[in-house]
Amino acid sequence: MSGLRDDLRLLRHGRDWRGRSRVPRSAQCWEPPDNGDDFPTAWARTAAAGALRSALQQAMLKPVIWSQTRPVVRGREYLDSVRGPAVFVANHSSHLDTPLILGALPPRITKKLAVGAAADYFFDSRTVAAATTLLFNAFPVERRARRGRSLAAELVDGGWSLLLYPEGSRTVDGWLTGFKLGAAQLCSMKGIPAVPIALRGTFAAMPRGRRWPQPGRPRVSVRIGRPLRIEADETVPEFRIRLVRAVATLWAEDDLGWYGALRAAADDSLALPTGSRSALPSTASGQPLPQDNEVAPWRRVWEATRPAADDGPRQVWTD
Amino acid sequence: MGRPGFMLDVDERTPPLLMHEGEGFRLERLPLGSRVIYPPESLPGIVDLEGAIHHALLHPHGSDPLPQLLRRGMRLTIVFDDLSLPLPQMRTPDVRQRVIEQVLELAAAAGVDDVELIAANSLHRRMTPAELKRTVGERVFRAFHPDHLRNHDAEDPDDLAHLGTTPHGEDVEINRRAAESDLIVYVNITLTAMNGGSKSVAVGLASYASLRHHHNVHTLRHSRSFNDPPHSAMHQSYDRMADVIGGQVPVFTIETTLNNEPFPTALRFLTRREWEWNLTDQASYLAVKRSNDLATGKLRRRIWQATEAPYGVTGVHAGAPSQVHPHTLAAVHRQQLTEVQGQADVAIFGLPYICPYNVNSIMNPILVMSLGLGYFFNLYRGKPIVREGGVAIFYHPMPHEFHPVHHPSYIDFYDLLAETTDPVMLETKYEKQFATDPWYTHLYRTSYAYHGVHPFYMWYWGAHAMQHLADVIFVGGDRSTTARLGFRAASSLADALELARDTVGANPEISYLHAPPMVLADVR
Repeated sequence: MSGLRDDLRLLRHGRDWRGRSRVPRSAQCWEPPDNGDDFPTAWARTAAAGALRSALQQAMLKPVIWSQTRPVVRGREYLDSVRGPAVFVANHSSHLDTPLILGALPPRITKKLAVGAAADYFFDSRTVAAATTLLFNAFPVERRARRGRSLAAELVDGGWSLLLYPEGSRTVDGWLTGFKLGAAQLCSMKGIPAVPIALRGTFAAMPRGRRWPQPGRPRVSVRIGRPLRIEADETVPEFRIRLVRAVATLWAEDDLGWYGALRAAADDSLALPTGSRSALPSTASGQPLPQDNEVAPWRRVWEATRPAADDGPRQVWTD
Repeated sequence: MGRPGFMLDVDERTPPLLMHEGEGFRLERLPLGSRVIYPPESLPGIVDLEGAIHHALLHPHGSDPLPQLLRRGMRLTIVFDDLSLPLPQMRTPDVRQRVIEQVLELAAAAGVDDVELIAANSLHRRMTPAELKRTVGERVFRAFHPDHLRNHDAEDPDDLAHLGTTPHGEDVEINRRAAESDLIVYVNITLTAMNGGSKSVAVGLASYASLRHHHNVHTLRHSRSFNDPPHSAMHQSYDRMADVIGGQVPVFTIETTLNNEPFPTALRFLTRREWEWNLTDQASYLAVKRSNDLATGKLRRRIWQATEAPYGVTGVHAGAPSQVHPHTLAAVHRQQLTEVQGQADVAIFGLPYICPYNVNSIMNPILVMSLGLGYFFNLYRGKPIVREGGVAIFYHPMPHEFHPVHHPSYIDFYDLLAETTDPVMLETKYEKQFATDPWYTHLYRTSYAYHGVHPFYMWYWGAHAMQHLADVIFVGGDRSTTARLGFRAASSLADALELARDTVGANPEISYLHAPPMVLADVR
């Protein structure tokens, strides 16, 4: 048995829970082309698969996540106005994010919600791809943008809402990083609203490398914002900035309270929780972003993993 | 199209890397900063192989089409590479069978009655009837065996012909039937750059009297490397002999090249880059490794030896040997060449279970040495991957095992190593005695034994490496066997590097040649 254990230990070394290793830097230029979007996902959007998925999410996924964490969900009331397809845009720092959002959204939305998942991560193994597709109604998203073809537009045409993580990957330090243009572009192209969602505490609860939430039911928050639509005179990059600021405002609610965050956003004094890469290419007024957020990586991780304050009454006014 | 070979720099992202070690393998964590030489990915095989062979026979290089060389009443000798090629044995039908069948179709159409097929086994052991049948196919075997399909006998004085000497005074003595034929058709598989070309007839059909001119310590020490024919004294000798042969009997050669698919699908993980292993590859690794480790030695050997390579054929070229071989070499380089920048202080090699001389047999310690310091060390063009005065670390258990039927002279040669491991001393003092020993000769001719001199050649094969390297360490090697061969054993890579510390310092540059599949390091 020790031989088996040793073999397993070596085999697992440097690989994540799916057995996937990171690509050595000197081998990155020799990576084969990804074939993630070749994996068929249409079967997961059939009525039978949808029924099975609802059952799995409600009977298994949500109870497990809710038993291992203490989710606080705010802003569900803003979704009443959402009828038809929308793009849900969230920050991303943990594998907990998707189950939390699916558990936080009302069933009438999750029934018609597809989740964008990294083609090179979730769709390189057929087993993992099948499980991800069934459980989350996932569809492959090409992160490296080598190819333009994407299912997203087709899904919106088919009446599906999408959950996208415009950062492209889980952050390494729990903070917000740059948003890619894709989500804003899609909203502009299809004339559909974007719903900002901010997640706090998921990095502390289950960061990269962990396979199960930290013990002790860590507190996590899911804050849903008002749906945003691109204005007639607004460009896609400007809309992207508005999306970042909306997510950042929701993010700040945990620290400043609802009104405090709104005031800070209105005064353009909101300290953007930017991490390893700046979330905003420039401020809303077009000025370059101040570089006062360049702190040592450990300080960002330190802040991101600070235990959340206990729940109290919802703060409307702050000192 | 497969991806080219490349040099990997081991960083913190690099997973443990696969390492062959005889009839087994393991994952090994290399020190950060080590470099790994990966072979190019396998090229696609020719889809219409029959068509490609047919085209090559009708459109040869530097020769008339084969049908024009065949005529009624002629003596035709078809010679083919023996079981030392390819490695592992390829899945049937063997490409030699496919070529021979097409040659015989043309010969039959031309009305040729006097046809003889000879395995070019030189001083290798004879192929058994089953091995012959596997190589040439059922149809050819039934039509020609045993009278007209046979092994070359380098010790049959009646079946050897002395064709003269080269300008360097080298005797050229080859198989009489071939030498007195109207045409020799040679069917070759070129697995590495050292195969094929002038070597085919000049070595495959030669006698000891002829072979001793290039299979010696001096020539091998000046073959740098013997996988780089223009810089190989050995190949220059072959060329001189081929000129003598070509002046007396026409040779039409058909050379084939293979891709980098030496393992069947179940062992696909052995050829994939480790960070690209999916769950199936990892499960296969674990299942095969555990089963392999738990199996008895006999069962393990039987299973490995039964492995058939699903090689694809990447090229078929026919015609005059000197005209054909450049095309063959280009195809080999296309599949195997990887550019390497600079030499390392320490080279690491994982030695697999097979070499050219233990097909359906046992890899004894002499063959392990020959595989490591001979074949693997010489997988370079330009300069060795390890600097002069550097250290080579090999992975192989090197058990004290010999096949008493196939390798009888090896057993006695092993005893000689207690006296000296110096190739020159062994050559001077003992080579002739072993080469002319009547008992070894009898076993070579009537049993299935390698020639008495063969272990000497294996030792010379490593002469260049022994001269070049300051130290040789075998990880996992049997201590007494390794010591007998003049090397050192270490229980782990860390221990081996500790042993090497006195020679190359505490922070040596390390290069690992990730083979098999085959890779030829083009060291700049």
